[in-house]
Amino acid sequence: MDFAWTDAQQAYRSRVKTALDELLPDDWDSHYAPQGYGSAAQIDFSRDFCPKLAERGLLVRHWPAEWGGESADPWEQFILAEEMKWRGEPRGPQYMNVNWLGPTLMKHGTPAQQAEHLGRIARGEVIWCQGYSEPGAGTDLAALQTRAEPQGDVYIVNGQKIWTSYSRKADFCFLLARTGQGRKDISIFLVPMDSPGIEVKPFPGLVGEGHLNEVFFTDVEVPATARVGEEGKAWDIITYALSFERVGIPRYHVGRKLLDKAIAQLEREGRGDDPVIKARVGRIVAKFEAARLLTYVVVDQRAKGAGPSVDANISRITASDACTDLTNFLVEYLPDCLTTGDPILREFHRGNIAATIAAGTYELQLNLIARGALDLPRGN
Amino acid sequence: MDMELTDEQRLLVDAVEALGERWRTMPAGHERDYAYFDADLQAALTDGGFLRAGLDMGMLEAALVAIEISRLPVVTSVGASALVAPPLLGEVPDGPVAILSTDWSKGQRLLPVAGHALAARDGRALLIDLAGVEVAPVDSIYAYPYGRLAAEPDWAAARDVGDAARLTQWARVAIACEMAGAAQAAVDVAVDHVKQRFAFGRAIGSYQAVQHRLAQCHQIARAMRFLALYAAWSGDAGAADIAATYAQDHVGKLAFDLHQFSGGMGVTCEYHLHFFTYRLRALQAEWGGADGAAMSTYARLWGAAA
Repeated sequence: MDFAWTDAQQAYRSRVKTALDELLPDDWDSHYAPQGYGSAAQIDFSRDFCPKLAERGLLVRHWPAEWGGESADPWEQFILAEEMKWRGEPRGPQYMNVNWLGPTLMKHGTPAQQAEHLGRIARGEVIWCQGYSEPGAGTDLAALQTRAEPQGDVYIVNGQKIWTSYSRKADFCFLLARTGQGRKDISIFLVPMDSPGIEVKPFPGLVGEGHLNEVFFTDVEVPATARVGEEGKAWDIITYALSFERVGIPRYHVGRKLLDKAIAQLEREGRGDDPVIKARVGRIVAKFEAARLLTYVVVDQRAKGAGPSVDANISRITASDACTDLTNFLVEYLPDCLTTGDPILREFHRGNIAATIAAGTYELQLNLIARGALDLPRGN
Repeated sequence: MDMELTDEQRLLVDAVEALGERWRTMPAGHERDYAYFDADLQAALTDGGFLRAGLDMGMLEAALVAIEISRLPVVTSVGASALVAPPLLGEVPDGPVAILSTDWSKGQRLLPVAGHALAARDGRALLIDLAGVEVAPVDSIYAYPYGRLAAEPDWAAARDVGDAARLTQWARVAIACEMAGAAQAAVDVAVDHVKQRFAFGRAIGSYQAVQHRLAQCHQIARAMRFLALYAAWSGDAGAADIAATYAQDHVGKLAFDLHQFSGGMGVTCEYHLHFFTYRLRALQAEWGGADGAAMSTYARLWGAAA
């Protein structure tokens, strides 16, 4: 055990910071960042920003050379993610592409799928959405009802997805659909979002712009060649992808930045000396640091080639606790964060309402910890 | 960054575990005590060189020793001896070490068994030789022996061992390590119980209401461990504040939930949960408690106005 960053890792972090300083426009912090990474503005920005990041060798450095990377270890991937998160995630939704969609295709895609998609992802040219949740299937993903019926060399897809962040702007959907009668007879399809029969309807909600959409599939024709893996055998692939999603966003890394903003405002308002606030803030800092270290446990496992473990669930709830404490603090002490206050704080609050639910609710994570770490017996 | 133990660290932990095997159950005659300081274990740790791990290997290794020993129901002065004395004194004193709270007249943890005490006074850290000092035992359900000084120490005779801030820092690391070990042991006791105890025809550990809170307790213990190890490794006072804050902040939940799941058994002395939960309780308020350490964090990060 050694908590030190290597010289190479520190140099890499500096390189990423420099790139961000050079590539982000002057109005990034004031104009783009407050809109959130699901916003139309940030998604459009990412189409310009990610190719530049790719040109500098920073978009998919952790990918193998065969697919445009340098086989950098997962630590560099996380250093990159931390620095991107710190600045408000200028990669927009493309963080999903590089962190788990691309790696999933490398592991499970056909050569043709890899040839079609990985290059575009590696060049930062494409926006994806995930067609997972449905009105009757969220955390219980295996309850999904969208069907893909085989018809010759195509599938006909009918059904409805919901939440589906970024789908209004997405080029492709990583779609889960039922292809059999069994509970887990589910397959994955790579579906162009301009396919006839796909309709996206945004709807209002508490979370930030771009995250809440319904996606309707009506007799959408999808070539069988767009199926990832064997028919009806997608569950292990989904588990693989979800394990990356659960610790894919280093929310712990923004805690300090958000607290900086909150405390600066409290100081301006003459409330900087309140010992209650100081004690509360110190406790929140401790929770963020706990989340950081427990996430590093997972990154270390990945760097050593280990498969998904319950530590991803532990990391997830630790980060959720920290973010929720901060959310509560903001509304208690800076209630204007949801009205006239700092828009960065507003976006954090709004985003965190859903962050503890996405990729499996907090309670699902607890279920998995109870089984995976404590070996507690199942109920009847 | 490597979050797994090295081979050398694994050998150390294995050796500590092997040493502790004899003490996984309480020594005969002490099964129903509130607390039991085990002089034999203290001596075994000394003789085996484990309390010198911080001097011979590093403070991270000292933390590993303290965490493992704190998983045993008996107590020693492993925190003070292995994690506080080495950085302050450059040595491990003979015999157990106590760390006095700011008010010398109150009950002090480990004082009845200690040969030396460390104390902070007027910004300095002091080492007090307790030979000949009168100590009255204090009754308590805390899982450490407590005692009270019959008279104010002779501060002038104490040895100045440096800045009091360093004592605060390493005392917080020691607290965090002992709490991390005790928390994991407490979770283990409760998990074992809920697998064996049936209610309404099912193991109570099969109820989701129990599972979720136990899963949270496990997460807390794991977070306490890594924060404590990081604080020891870094030698950073800010990391020590954070580790102590997190540990002390979560005692309330651990103590409530783990006793709750243990039902009536959890309030008896023959059930060993209290050896761990009341060790956590004893440490919950030391060195300013969660609020004190949290305010120190605030001052470090956002200015000395705290």
